[in-house]
Amino acid sequence: MSSTTSTATVKHKSISYAGWGYFFIAPFVIVYVACSLIPLFSTFYNAFFENYMDGLKHIGPNFIGFENFVTLFTPRADGRLEILNYTTNTMIMWVIGAVPQIVFALLLAVIFTSERMKIKGQAFFKTVIYMPNLIMASAFAMLFFQIFSSVGPINQLFFTGNGGSAYLFFDNTWSARSIIAFINFLMWFGNTTILLMAGIMGIDQSLFEAASIDGANSTQVFFKITIPLLMPIIIYVVITALIGGLQMFDVPQIITAGRGGPNNTTKTLVMALNSYIGTSKNYGMAGAVSIILFIVTGILSFVVFRSTEPKKEGKKK
Amino acid sequence: MKKRIMASLLAAACVLSVASCGGNNQTTTTAATAAPAANNDTTTAAPANNDATEAATTEAAATPAADEGDTFNIYAWNEEFKGFFEKYMPGYDASAQTLDGVKVVWTINPSDGGVYQDKLDQALQANATASAADKVDMFLAEADYILKYTDSDYTMDVSGIGVSQVPTEYQYTVDAASDSNGKIKGVSFQCCPSALIYRRSIAKAVLGTDDPDEVQAQLDSWDKYEAVAAKAKDAGYYIQSSFADNYRVFSNNATSAWVTGGQLTIPDVVDQWTEQMKSFYEKGYILDTLPGVWDDGKTAQMFADGKTMCFFGPAWYFNFCMGNAQDPDKGCFGDWAICEGPMAHFWGGTWMLAATGTDNGSLVAKVMKAFTEDESVCEQLIKNEGQFTNNKSVNQKFADDPDYGSAFLGNQNDVKVFVGMTDNIKFQNNTNYDQLCNEGYQDYIKQYINGSVEKETALQNFYGYINEKYPAVQTP
Repeated sequence: MSSTTSTATVKHKSISYAGWGYFFIAPFVIVYVACSLIPLFSTFYNAFFENYMDGLKHIGPNFIGFENFVTLFTPRADGRLEILNYTTNTMIMWVIGAVPQIVFALLLAVIFTSERMKIKGQAFFKTVIYMPNLIMASAFAMLFFQIFSSVGPINQLFFTGNGGSAYLFFDNTWSARSIIAFINFLMWFGNTTILLMAGIMGIDQSLFEAASIDGANSTQVFFKITIPLLMPIIIYVVITALIGGLQMFDVPQIITAGRGGPNNTTKTLVMALNSYIGTSKNYGMAGAVSIILFIVTGILSFVVFRSTEPKKEGKKK
Repeated sequence: MKKRIMASLLAAACVLSVASCGGNNQTTTTAATAAPAANNDTTTAAPANNDATEAATTEAAATPAADEGDTFNIYAWNEEFKGFFEKYMPGYDASAQTLDGVKVVWTINPSDGGVYQDKLDQALQANATASAADKVDMFLAEADYILKYTDSDYTMDVSGIGVSQVPTEYQYTVDAASDSNGKIKGVSFQCCPSALIYRRSIAKAVLGTDDPDEVQAQLDSWDKYEAVAAKAKDAGYYIQSSFADNYRVFSNNATSAWVTGGQLTIPDVVDQWTEQMKSFYEKGYILDTLPGVWDDGKTAQMFADGKTMCFFGPAWYFNFCMGNAQDPDKGCFGDWAICEGPMAHFWGGTWMLAATGTDNGSLVAKVMKAFTEDESVCEQLIKNEGQFTNNKSVNQKFADDPDYGSAFLGNQNDVKVFVGMTDNIKFQNNTNYDQLCNEGYQDYIKQYINGSVEKETALQNFYGYINEKYPAVQTP
């Protein structure tokens, strides 16, 4: 605002509105600090305390140093380290959902933006493929739970209908993981397609024209022009999908009734976090899990960023 | 100048939307739209305000007693008691949803996974500071976790509001509702001896009889039960559908508690149950899909085309769980009967407890008395709802009535059977942690029963679950 008062005295100079900038970013900054930054620090703080409810009794908060982390990294009596198990589960379910999601989305994006094919009714298809994203994840999970339940339509059609015994999709590790990954794929491929389409349409059309004049075929165009120039968007898509995937929660939570069964093979990191927060309000352990999630996310994002960054810069010039 | 006004309005709109709890960033176009948005937010954040004003208007018309708050808040985990309350509570006005002019507000959360307890705990802890309209006045609790509430300061000694033990109540229901000093914190409207419920037609096919006494003679021990299970299998039937159906029969006869001195130990009977079910699963005596007690796969067995002979449950089970059996088209109404089964036990039961800080003390007392002492209410519960009440004299009246019989059970006098079982109910070895121990154990041990993991792994998964839910409990 000082700039506006100074412009009043010094004439013939262009008016600076810089001061207003702070006004306009203020809501974001305030919301970010209050709802994101402070909770982030308080999570770190909480992780070093014993602080939970035992029924109606509040235990703590007592400072216990790294004990919560020690508990998390102590293997069970049968030698399994659950926090590692949860991390692996999360990564596996993310990979079997996200890889097809990105490949499929890329394919659709290329088809829709292809000048040669000129697909009609694009707006319609875009709406349709985006549609699953509008349905709540929990509703999706409930729906699939019913469809694949032991008395559900899939079992009636293929297993129990002709007298056989039901296939228990949620009692088998890989079928349960696949269903969860498939739901996530179905929900998010539309979103990814839209992003990639926007990216492809941002590429200079003259490059595609030049390529076709030089006699390049579709495969060559795809790998030599589309992919390299789309790299920044692809990295963005991969990193956001990775962060979203590491926070995978709602679908497996609902579909396994919070248990992460069978044998804890569909239990994700955030589900573990949630089960500490649920009944016992165990902020200490939940904080410790959050920090591990934070570190894992940070490392993986860095890896993805690093592994793709140099290529991007190489082709840029 | 105009711009400046516009800008400050915008800024004000931003601040307003932030103040009303962060989320609403879309409403920043003009102050005019922002202001109502902010109002909206405050009303959604505290919906109770609306109720309060509504209640205040109805209160003006009916004027309750001077010491009463204008909202009667009841917490429950299902609609069962709400249904009885709305039908039979004297003085309840169904159209206005008021009891003696006081608005009745139900807060219902599912019990599964401890959700109900979590929500209730939050509300009880806030009760001291909650506004009159939000105060919990009365809440329902089940045998599995009643101890947690009776032995705390969040429940109130009901002798202060004029409720005391009456001789018609069953002693175990009073013991369960009392704290360790013997102070009574509430009452139960049910008595829940649990019976073996069998399909008459299947019993005839397997045992050659459907007479309750003869069936009981063939099922009065676990050895006999297993022998009948083998017979049923040969005849193409299942002895029970869910692996968890007879869990309560075992767990209820435990000689040790789930948690003693902060240490979790699996009661011997629970382990016996596990091994029995493991062998039942392997021999094909139960459904191979291993549905839980409440699962669709199990209840589908209650249709007429079901192949299951036995279920286990108290009087509340008939209406609450056996809807499929009562289905007019696909059900098998009247094709059922009950007997005591291999071991006496009880299951569940709904206690009404008075919350500390209630501002509707006299109403709480009135409801508690109505459902235990008011004979006409209790009679209707038996006659219309198939319940077994917590009133000995009313129960006895039905048991002695030669004309009384439950049509659902082929005119068997179920009240008589239940009366005979009441002396064997033991409310013992209970802890604060029972609900999730029972629920979690069944869930995790299932993978051992179906052979997908080693017993040790299944147990470790269960211990992990308990560690997450109850950090204060030490696991092996």
